[in-house]
Order: sequence, then structure tokens, then C-alpha cells
Amino acid sequence: MSLNQAIETAPPAVPLKVRFGGWGTGLMLLAVWLLLIVATGLYRQDFFSQQTVLAVAFTMSIVGVLAIGQGLVAISGGFIDLSQPAGMITASLVAVRLSEAGMPLIVVIIGAILTGMVWGAFNAAIIVFAKLNPVIVTLATNFIGLAVLFLVFQLAEVPLNSDIYHFGRASFLGLPAIFWPMLGLVLVVGFLLPRTKYGRRATAVGGNRAAAKARGISLKATRFAIFMAAGGFVGFAAVLFAATAGPFNPGSGNAMQLNIIAGVILAGISLAGGRGNFWMLLLSVGFLSTIPTSLVFFGLSSDTQSIFQGLILIIAVAIDGYRARKGTP
Amino acid sequence: MTTVAADTTALPPAPHNPWRDVLTGSVASITFTFIAVVAVGWFWVGPKFLSFGNISIMGTFLIVPLIVGAFSGPALLSGVVDLSIGSMVGFSSALFALLISLGWDPASAAAVTLVACLCFGGINAIAIVGFGAEPIAATLGMLVALRGIAWVLLGSQGAIFAFNIDMFNLVSMTIFGLPLFFLLAILLTAIAAVIVTKTRMGRHVQAVGGDDRAAARAGISVKKVRVAALLLSAFGAGLGGIVFAGQLGSAARATGVGLEFQVYAALMIGGYSILRGGVGNPVGGALGLLAVAGVSNILDLKAISPYYVNIIVGLLLLAAVLLDRLRGGDAYE
Repeated sequence: MSLNQAIETAPPAVPLKVRFGGWGTGLMLLAVWLLLIVATGLYRQDFFSQQTVLAVAFTMSIVGVLAIGQGLVAISGGFIDLSQPAGMITASLVAVRLSEAGMPLIVVIIGAILTGMVWGAFNAAIIVFAKLNPVIVTLATNFIGLAVLFLVFQLAEVPLNSDIYHFGRASFLGLPAIFWPMLGLVLVVGFLLPRTKYGRRATAVGGNRAAAKARGISLKATRFAIFMAAGGFVGFAAVLFAATAGPFNPGSGNAMQLNIIAGVILAGISLAGGRGNFWMLLLSVGFLSTIPTSLVFFGLSSDTQSIFQGLILIIAVAIDGYRARKGTP
Repeated sequence: MTTVAADTTALPPAPHNPWRDVLTGSVASITFTFIAVVAVGWFWVGPKFLSFGNISIMGTFLIVPLIVGAFSGPALLSGVVDLSIGSMVGFSSALFALLISLGWDPASAAAVTLVACLCFGGINAIAIVGFGAEPIAATLGMLVALRGIAWVLLGSQGAIFAFNIDMFNLVSMTIFGLPLFFLLAILLTAIAAVIVTKTRMGRHVQAVGGDDRAAARAGISVKKVRVAALLLSAFGAGLGGIVFAGQLGSAARATGVGLEFQVYAALMIGGYSILRGGVGNPVGGALGLLAVAGVSNILDLKAISPYYVNIIVGLLLLAAVLLDRLRGGDAYE
């Protein structure tokens, strides 16, 4: 018991090199991001404008919140949650129906978050009780979920002039209003994860399952908690999505999936679990969200965007794999 | 007491029995699923379900998935999954159609297309085998990148018409009332099955997927096997794309989109695992594709929304993974 407490309260003994390595990720991301901004700015002076900042902040918001959920799943050893699109669209639909019923914004938000958490619990139940790998389970539930959604609705939209509609179009301190909750959530999660008992447990389960189990951490309970929390973030992202997307169909969330996974990996949150700093998500998601705007300024079609995104993901995963290989001799 | 114990311990190893293999082997569950699908089709739709005309329609749609599935099986067996096959089919059909529309002859267009596909497969191999990238994530990146490249090739119109009458005649040739290429794809599957189960090379692939460290200690080059498997999967997808373009006489933005999920869901239902190598058999994979095509055909004939196919496929997928775990797959905690 005392050993258990000692481990849980003691600061993790991290070698200096690894700790520097963590900040190295941040510096590298910042450098690449600045390089992209400077290159685009030199090519087209008008890139440096309020419009660009708005577009980037706007793109960052939804992807950022979803990336928190994805990062939680990854850091706890759940690998990837491929069911985020179905979960988000389900929660968005709930948000739309609630705001159509004239509910106040807070009820809409709570409803969407609860929907996301139920979706997460549904995934976790299959993963934990059938002991199946999360990648396949979420692949299948996404498949099933989207098919059911297509049977339920074709097109949905929040009513004009509802609270959530105005929230999606409001701005605060020169940036879209939806940007600030994302910033706050990333900062809070990034602060709490290495500093609270539950955060360290989640990371420990991802790092070494057997060791975490031997220490008395319930893998099942942790898995449930992680997937429900991740679902909660998906639900909140659904509010931001419903508020800003205009009319959406069940397939509208699919395009974001890759940016989210790329953002998590670029941020150094290892898909192998147990490692990562959530604050880095601001840099990685910021960088990835600048790419579409930059490409427009370079005069490239939106089709080329996927080429860049795909290649960046391959490079990021290769770096992640190289690091993991060096870390475990 | 002692004699009983001695009897049970001294029991001779069970003789090889192909019938028991059918009941317990990795192809067992898909055989039952396949029979169930055929039975449901027979009773619900009627004899029309098994008519030559209907099978021929299903076969025409199955040619590309069967080819792609037969070639991507070895990658799954060796423990690396290649998600980029769907986009690779799209890219290959776009490049092939573009070259044909520029006046190339089909043979050299096909050769150039296949070489291009092998190059992209090589990038996958460098990232995964060379750098140790996670196969699912790396090939997901390749999936998106290749889709972008295909769309750029297709231009602003989003489609290239490249109708070649010789190609079309070749692809739509029939023997005994069934499409020639469907029968060829089945033959390809059979050859793949023989190579995987009966040859030294196939056993090496299975050994690498089953336990790469043990395979390395046994003197098998794990890297070589995996690089070859990834190149083979890219080659198969390239071939599938060319056949696709030949069938349709064109390439479009939607070509190959989602094919990777269609193929892998069917392969997993057929006994492959995308998370651990060393299990699965090309025959099971082909039966998986046939079973899913059968389900979709039944719903089609009964005029039921195609979205139910995805629900059924998703549920079958979960059931298949559960069966794989119960049969000795890794339990996830």
C-alpha cells in the first residue's frame, strides 16, 4: 500500500535527455510551423491578415477538442479511436434536436457531452467485456454507427437565430468564440494529466499494462473512464461542429479524422501509449490547420491538401516509430 | 488409477483429418457463415439467387476486391496491414486512364502504372520496415496522400474517360456464362492459397507474422519478408485499379474510395487478423468477400436500404474478431 502511494505521488523519474526530447518536439513543431508561415508570407504579403488568423483558429477549434479525446485514448494504450466521426455526428444530431426544441445553450451542451460519453461507454463496454482490440472495435462501431445515422437522418442543421447558432458565429478578443474553450481544455488537460492521480494512472496503464495492474490499478475501470472522458470531448466538439458547420450529413465528420490522428502523433503522444504532452497539441494542430490556408495562398487546389496531410502523417509516424525503437533497445 | 492416467497421457496424437480441420481450422467459421448466407439467399430470395445471371453480376463486382484481397493477404499474414490499398486502386485507375487517354497502348500504360504503384508501396515499406512506423497509421497517411494524387491526376473534371474496346472486350469476356476475370481471380486465390500453405516461402511469411523474433532467430529475414509483402500488396492494388479502369472505361474520384474497409472487413470475417500476423488463409478471405457480396446482393434483390449491409458487416466483423480471440488470438486488456 505504501509502495503504491509512493509510486503514485513521487514525480516520475525521467532522464534529462528524454525530458529535453519532449521539449525538442515542441521546438521542432514551432520551427516547422513558423517556416510554413514565413514561407507563405514571403510568397504572398496578404497572408498576414486577420482573415488568416480567423481561418486557422476556426479550423483548430474542433480538431483540437477531438484531438484531446484521441490523445487520451492513445496515451492510455487504447491506440486509436476510429469511431470519433460517428460519435461526433450522433452528438451533433442530439444538439440540433435539443436546440430545435428551444432548449437553452447549456442544456444543449450537456446533452451533447452526455451523448458522447454514452458513445464512449458503448465502445468501452465491447472493448472491456469482449477483450477486443479498440482499433477493430471502433472501426466496426463507426461502420455501424454511420450506417444507422444515414438511416435516421440525411441532413440536419441548428435552427437559425438559436443560441448555439449565435455561439458559432460570435467572436471574442478578435478570435472565434469556439476557439477559447478549445484552448482552455487543452491547457487544463495538459496541466492535470501529469499532476493528478487519475492522469498518472491513465498514462501508467498506457506505458506498461502489467506493471500498472501489479500496482493495483484496475485496467477495466481505467479503460471505461478513458473512453467515457474521450467521448465527452467528442460530445463537446460536436457542439462546436453543430454550431459552425451549417447543414451537415452523417458523412461530414470523416474528413477531420486524419488531421486529428496526425495532430496527436505530431504532438509526440505516442500511439504505443504512456508518453506525451497535451500542450504540444496546440502547436501540432495549429501547424496542421495552417496548411489548408497556406495552400490556398500558394494557389494550389484543395486536392493537393490531402497529399501534404498524408505525407506529413507518414513522416510523423516514421519519426514516432524511430523514437520508440531507440527508446526500447 | 495409474493405468487410467497412463492411458490418457499415452494417447497417440490425433491423425491428420481434413474434415476436422474444416470444422476447427481458421476457415471453419467463414465456411459456416458462407453456407448460412447462401442458405438465407436460397430460402428468402429463391432459386434466382443462385442463377448464373445473378452469380455473374456478383462476380463482375467481385473481380477487383478478389484480386486486391489475394495480394494483400500476405501483408496481413506477415503482420503488417496496408490500409492504402483502396486509394492505390484509385490512383492506379487514374494514372492508367490518363495514359490511355494520352494515346499510350494498354500494355505499356499498365507497366508504367504498376511500377508507379510499386514505388508508393516502397515508401510504405521504408516507413514501416525501415523506420519502424506503426503500419496502420503510416498507411493511413499513404491512403490520404494517394487519394490526393489521384484527384490531381483526374483534374478539375474529376474523371477521365479512357475507353479502350480491346480492353473492355478482354475484361468482359465470359466462359460458361461467368466472367472470365472472375474465374481468373478465383484461380489466383487458389494459387495464393497453395503458395501460403504449401511452400517454404509461404511458411516463412506465416512465421514472420506469428512471432517475428522467433522467425528472426530461425534465420528468416523479417525485413525482407515484410518489404516483399508490402510491395506485393501495392502491386495487387495496382493490378486491381487497371482492371477497374478497363471494366468501367474510365476513372473517377470515387474509384476505390472505401475499398480498403470493404476488403479488410471481408478478410477479417474470412479469418485473417489485421492485428496479429500468421493467421488466415486466402481461401477464407475469398469466402469472406463472397459472403459479404452475397449479403449485399440479397438486400439488393429484396430492395432493402444498402446501409443495412454496413450494419451487418460491422456486426460480422465484431463476431469474427471475437471468434479469432476465442481461437487463441491476443486478449486485449
